[in-house]
Amino acid sequence: MKTFEEKWTAWLDGELSGPELAEFEASLPDKAAAEEEKRNAKRLGTFLKTQLQGRTMGNEEFFHHQLRERIAGDARATIPPEKSGARPSRWPLGRLVWAGATSLAIFLVCAVFVMREKSPTDQSQYLTQILNARVDPAVNPNATISMFEANEDRVTVLWVEGLQSLPSEYATK
Amino acid sequence: MQRRAVFLIGLSLALALGGAVSAPAEQTVWSGLVMANNVAQPAAIPPELNRVEGTLKALFGYNQFKLIGQSQKTLTTGGEDWLASSKYFALHVDSKSETAAGYLLNLKLYQEKSLLLETEAKVSKASPLVIKGPQVGDGLLLLVLVVQ
Repeated sequence: MKTFEEKWTAWLDGELSGPELAEFEASLPDKAAAEEEKRNAKRLGTFLKTQLQGRTMGNEEFFHHQLRERIAGDARATIPPEKSGARPSRWPLGRLVWAGATSLAIFLVCAVFVMREKSPTDQSQYLTQILNARVDPAVNPNATISMFEANEDRVTVLWVEGLQSLPSEYATK
Repeated sequence: MQRRAVFLIGLSLALALGGAVSAPAEQTVWSGLVMANNVAQPAAIPPELNRVEGTLKALFGYNQFKLIGQSQKTLTTGGEDWLASSKYFALHVDSKSETAAGYLLNLKLYQEKSLLLETEAKVSKASPLVIKGPQVGDGLLLLVLVVQ
């Protein structure tokens, strides 16, 4: 059972006929006003059809090409690599392990060389240090002690002055 | 491939640990009693003193340096002691320990049985030690220590 609004819309569109048309027109309270409204609706429809026609596309082929490319790109993005049959990853697990091991080996070798070069047990960087020195004041009361470094040969010198002189026979082997 | 990687890591670790824990090279300490004097025809300087020849000549002003006693000791534990002696003098060297700065040595110079001088020094390989001793005749007694 159609409602009044459905019958009204159908009547405006000219889709009612026969006894249904007659029955609907008989039910209208003011048929003249309804006819006027029908004419207005038709005029409006005609006007809209002429004004709202789709614009013709100047670069139709290019637009279609762009559209197809975008659709293909979206499809590639959504399909997992395994299913898409794409080539395998450039860094598979085995190669990553191999690269890591090589890097670690190089690092260890370099670290060992650096540590050996800078090892604190390498004494070459140090000068000899005299910590203390003494002479027996009872035997050599006038003895004095000084120490210094001779830069020429990096020699450390302990200079003891005032020791008792000895005869030349003490110079024998 | 992973086996090779594991092998490479193991080899590197072995090299690293081997290098890190390897014992330092043994070093030799040469100690000498040297008589310095001036002569018309100086003898050639002993090869052990070549390294300090310039300093000896410049500092003490003598042209001849003769060894009257010497000793050479290879240090392994760092706790050795030894004696370099001549007829009347003796230099007793007591190595106490090895430190980062060198060997800690206690030195005692004896004239026959009396102690003339005692000193303690950290002797480095890069830096010989020279000690000016007593005047002997027209010359001078010097003590020289070199880590070789």
